[in-house]
Amino acid sequence: MVETNGAAYLSVEGLHKSFDTLDVIKGVSFSGQEHEVISLLGASGSGKSTILRCINLLEIPTRGTIRIDGEKLPLKQREHGMAISDQKALSAIRARLGMVFQQFNLWVHMTVLENVIEGPIQVLGIPKDEAIAKAEALLDRVGIAHKKDAYPSQLSGGQQQRVAIARTLAMDPKILLFDEPTSALDPEMVGEVLSVMKDLAAEGRTMVVVTHEMAFAREVSDKVIFLHQGKIAEEGTPDQVFGAPQTAECQQFLAKVL
Amino acid sequence: MYQDFKYLISDGVCAIASPVSGDLFTKFCPRFIDGFVVTIELLALSSTLGFLLAVGLVLARMSGHRVLSIPANVFVYCFRGTPLLVQLWIIYFGIGSFGAEGLGPLWAFFKEPWLVGLLVLTLNTSAYVSEILRGGLVNVDKGQAEAAMAIGMSWFQSMRRILLPQAIRIAWPAYGNELVLLMKGSALISTITVLDLMGQTRTIFARNFDLTTYLYATVLYLVLAGLITLFVVAIERRFARNLR
Repeated sequence: MVETNGAAYLSVEGLHKSFDTLDVIKGVSFSGQEHEVISLLGASGSGKSTILRCINLLEIPTRGTIRIDGEKLPLKQREHGMAISDQKALSAIRARLGMVFQQFNLWVHMTVLENVIEGPIQVLGIPKDEAIAKAEALLDRVGIAHKKDAYPSQLSGGQQQRVAIARTLAMDPKILLFDEPTSALDPEMVGEVLSVMKDLAAEGRTMVVVTHEMAFAREVSDKVIFLHQGKIAEEGTPDQVFGAPQTAECQQFLAKVL
Repeated sequence: MYQDFKYLISDGVCAIASPVSGDLFTKFCPRFIDGFVVTIELLALSSTLGFLLAVGLVLARMSGHRVLSIPANVFVYCFRGTPLLVQLWIIYFGIGSFGAEGLGPLWAFFKEPWLVGLLVLTLNTSAYVSEILRGGLVNVDKGQAEAAMAIGMSWFQSMRRILLPQAIRIAWPAYGNELVLLMKGSALISTITVLDLMGQTRTIFARNFDLTTYLYATVLYLVLAGLITLFVVAIERRFARNLR
């Protein structure tokens, strides 16, 4: 199954995704290196969340190839689109890709601590006491150790999202995927989540971030990709894309959001 | 041991109830209590076994594999679509009519009305509970399953650890309703000669033709309904703490 592809840590080639007759992603290719932060920007409906969800196969692409650290996602071509060819391999790859959702998606019937140790125990098979020690350290890091026995419904949005980040980090992921992590938060809580994400970027985590936080994208990203109607309209360093956008779509978008 | 315990309960209840109840109840008290206990035993066993079977059924139905989902759907359709009384009679009198020669070693099971009653109640309630659980699963927020998949859980792991525990919480009030329906339905097993509460009541009535016999049975069934309600509400409170 393993095919190597040069030095790219994450590579997306010729990605297409259609929902019935609606083409959402129309041929997207990009790649990233280890320790890089890539931001996906674009108006709503531009397909940026769909790309992220294709990377860990929460959405099955219609066409295209995705490689994580040289390993190709287990997809096989079918008559209409593609299908997962190897569930075991998929689970193993997903376990190495951390996903942080817009709506946090903490498991509501588990405490904060139980949320964080669930993956390591069930998926990675780590002993419980070890998982708890690690979870406590991670919760401490995101500033939420004092709430470890609370249920998600007892936390604010910002706290829930920080727990969700700790839950993801507990899996030691190779790549962190952030799907609009601050879009569902009250404005006063956005800062606490962004500061955790900045710390992660600073320690060299490989991250792909779908976001509307332009200041964050500009400050933290190594590469910015601007999507328009399911295609990459502009791609470059933050200074290139924010400072001197080439396309009219990107100029208009930035004029609206900045 | 367990039998001694039941006698102890029966003696105790009757000693307390005699001074405050009518002559008829005092006279037949041990029979009423005996039937009451049989009903509780059948309910406890059939609801527990039925619940476990229902979990298996709902997993089969949601598995996406036709070899599993079609038989499970047919089973649920048949047991939800026919009267409990018909199920009891077909299995007890129908299968039972093949007798020792026709059934071989299975005869030991099918000649026992109590065991057949337990079997039918279990199968019947499992069909309903699997449908209740399916309703719960459908109403679990989609993000919960996505988070489970994204962390690398298999389908079965996400069902066992994330989706079913939440589905049970969501479906709990409906499940409480099913427990009460099961209790009332259990009276039908008196028609296959089981001496449950209804069976004992009918025997007692046959001795004295006093209609207050049924009044006492009514009170005992209401007590049972009260116990079930207390149990359901207690669990519901536990669940309420952590579901938004």
